[in-house]
Amino acid sequence: MTTGGPGTTGEPAASVNQFDPETKQALANLLLATADDEFVIGFWDSEWTGIAPLLEEDVAFASLAQDEIGHAQALYQLLADLEGGDPDELAFGRRPEEYRHARLLDHPRTDWAFSVARRFLYDTADAARLDALVASAHAPLAGVVAKMRREETYHLLHMHAWLERLATGGPEPRSRLVAAMERLWPDALCVLAGVEGDALLVEAGVLAEPLAAVRRRWLAGLAPELERLGLPAPPADPPAGCRGPDRSDDFRWLWEQFTMVRRSDPEAVW
Amino acid sequence: MPGQPMQVYEVFRREREGGPMQHAGNLLAPDPELASHYAREFYGRRQESVRLWIVPRAAIVDLDDPDLLQPPFDRSFKKPVGYSTEIKAKLAQARSRAGTGKAGEIQ
Repeated sequence: MTTGGPGTTGEPAASVNQFDPETKQALANLLLATADDEFVIGFWDSEWTGIAPLLEEDVAFASLAQDEIGHAQALYQLLADLEGGDPDELAFGRRPEEYRHARLLDHPRTDWAFSVARRFLYDTADAARLDALVASAHAPLAGVVAKMRREETYHLLHMHAWLERLATGGPEPRSRLVAAMERLWPDALCVLAGVEGDALLVEAGVLAEPLAAVRRRWLAGLAPELERLGLPAPPADPPAGCRGPDRSDDFRWLWEQFTMVRRSDPEAVW
Repeated sequence: MPGQPMQVYEVFRREREGGPMQHAGNLLAPDPELASHYAREFYGRRQESVRLWIVPRAAIVDLDDPDLLQPPFDRSFKKPVGYSTEIKAKLAQARSRAGTGKAGEIQ
């Protein structure tokens, strides 16, 4: 993960120095939370490689998952540029309880409807988050976000297509989708919660509005589609402990998987 | 759309602006929307295409009748090859006869 510096647009040094220590810490929190979200969903969804409902979807879904790993790479690089350190170490060198992804990503892959529901909820929430970051005062972040939004456009198209098909595809797909959404909704709200200091980021112009406002905007945008398809609506508030440190056994299992190669020889050079 | 049958789509791609649309391959999809998503992932995810055409195979007019495509008589006179190779030799001979041949050409 040391190719280029995806975040090296503009003048990162000047941009970083303009923040006071508390704001800089809040920016680091936001970068880590967002990077971990992308990283963990990328690994979960890559699990469909070889076993998706049809070969074509297998290739497509794995490719979307790879895109998310690429976004995580760019965001870990931004964090390393901000605080020093190594993006690979950030990605693979932490204990499970040190990851800051949303609880939505603590669930296992489960069945296809579950993965589609999660991916849909995540991608739409992430799109709202990116909207709030595209004009960020942290220029390197604005640069990465502009690129991510271009890829998220077709991720969203893909997931809207699948949501529609499962919701209207007969009793079994529909009931599986509804069950998955009911199970996932509370934890989905965590994608736009649990980042300490987001008010400071709004003050500094890094983030357009507080995460709670981004969350309301996301849900307001989704409401017509959920109503049209007769799908479950979200609860009022996210649960406590949205971004750890308590982690599910399922995430611990995934962590064992994605750190396995590195743990076998941390000093290895490719 | 429950049980919608899968259809074969043929995919054509343009590698760069101004280039021809060339056959890339095919895929199976239940509808044109998913076909376009899959075509994008199969033939466009590595920035290798600037345009794709995604065509249901059923829309293709297929022609393979040998009576139409492989007529039995010698049709070599319909081929343009006379202009590209034979004419060069004849031109060289004519130049040679007229004494205007370039050095090193056929005498």
